[in-house]
Amino acid sequence: MSGALLRHPRVRNYARLAPAILTITLLFGGALAGAVRTSVLPLGQDATLATWSSLLHAPELVDAALFTLRTALISTLLAAAVAVAIALAVWRRGTWVRALLALAVPIPHLLVATVAVLWLAPGGLAERVLGALPITLVRDRAGLGVVLVYVYKEAPFLALLLLAAMGQGYREREEACAALGASASQRLRWVTWPTIRGPLVVGSIIVFAYVLGAFEVPLALGPSYPPTLAEYAFNATRGDLISGQSTAAATLLLTSVAAMLLAVLAVRLAKDPQGD
Amino acid sequence: MTEPRGRLGAALIAALFSVPLLALVTRAFADSWRAPALVPQELGLRGVRIAFSGDTGTAFLNSLQVATLTVAIALILAWPAARVLGERRLRHPATVFILLAAPLLVPSYAVGSGLTEWFIRLGLDGSTTALVAAHLTFVLPYVTIVLLSGFGPGLTTLEEMARVSGLSPLRGLALVSLPASAPTVAAAALLGFLVSWSDYGSSLAVGGGRPMLPVVLLPFVGADPQVAATLALLFLAPALLFLVLTVRAGRRPL
Repeated sequence: MSGALLRHPRVRNYARLAPAILTITLLFGGALAGAVRTSVLPLGQDATLATWSSLLHAPELVDAALFTLRTALISTLLAAAVAVAIALAVWRRGTWVRALLALAVPIPHLLVATVAVLWLAPGGLAERVLGALPITLVRDRAGLGVVLVYVYKEAPFLALLLLAAMGQGYREREEACAALGASASQRLRWVTWPTIRGPLVVGSIIVFAYVLGAFEVPLALGPSYPPTLAEYAFNATRGDLISGQSTAAATLLLTSVAAMLLAVLAVRLAKDPQGD
Repeated sequence: MTEPRGRLGAALIAALFSVPLLALVTRAFADSWRAPALVPQELGLRGVRIAFSGDTGTAFLNSLQVATLTVAIALILAWPAARVLGERRLRHPATVFILLAAPLLVPSYAVGSGLTEWFIRLGLDGSTTALVAAHLTFVLPYVTIVLLSGFGPGLTTLEEMARVSGLSPLRGLALVSLPASAPTVAAAALLGFLVSWSDYGSSLAVGGGRPMLPVVLLPFVGADPQVAATLALLFLAPALLFLVLTVRAGRRPL
């Protein structure tokens, strides 16, 4: 009987989804529950909402939230645009271009930030080559250096996602379309865009959420004020031993909720993240 | 006529992404490199000596072990789920999709510190199990998303043909499903490995002082660029190896 039940398509679907979903539910649910617990149970104290009320009344949090959102949005849009340009430029190239391009992908964000400081900081290599840089890029208030590092780091990642999608059968469809007399812009609209739309949207959401939550890059070359949300949380743990963990947990929970809401919005706007 | 120009453009893009990284190699072996000089004043192995005097070896092996285990488990758990989602077998996939992708939206630092709350109680703080579990929380969604993007009617049709031709499910998996989806599986494995390998936030929170490569490396970034650059190259090595394997797998035809 159980065999017959397992052969039922819907039961079979849920049975195949179960291992991944149960794992995520346990780990992710556990992490969120742990963070909520930390945020209302400061070290060695009774349950209290003091952390939340003081956090929500901190003017620094608003600054941090706005700065974080702006940085994440600009970084993601620029990285996506650059990625499309790269993918279009190199999709006919052989393995070696992809391998070179992919060099930037495995490097941790923190190291890209280190390389950026090496090149862009006052007295850095760019200044040594060019004489002087027209704008400040390291520790500037607008966070240009941070945006630059994220675009540099994420554009190749997105481009590789696009190139992966442009592999199977893409050349045939492109050439068939060209043979039938379609112009370059028509091929872009009818062949290229439907091919890359799915990975582009999915990749961009991943990048946006990452930028929203990471703290290594802003710590390395972002402005000292305003901090990003994750930086704010990180600073809290270093500032106050007793309430710091609670403040950090509450801030990170806020960041998480904001990111989830924005991602749902993005998926809605893109209708179908896989495209076709 | 467009060929040479296209080649030049591709080479330029490749250079833009690879030349700045070469500075890292130079930095690692420059014992003295003061402004405004474009070449180091003095080359040497000071960075290597300092980098390897601490926990670096242990940290390297810890990170490698955790990343490999995490990716292997993630691929096994994600494959069936990605098939269901990629082939659009669900009437309402949005809920499942959002649930699976949700951990990606949360800072790994948040996942790490949230889980630590429980790992300490379970006596797992700082163990390989704890690190793999924490990394799995966001590696599994990444792997699932990349995998599902490669699954669809094309693969199903091929498998149908394999079944009709009399292949057993296991041989079908080995001879058809896996080779046909090799580029996607390789991309998923690469991404998962890199996410785990370079994670700082959760490794720091869950690690309980256990040396992991990013955690060992971070203090040097501000303090000693040469040592940081040396560790960075070490950090890059397995990732590059994995990348080469992935590109090869991605190009293998069915």
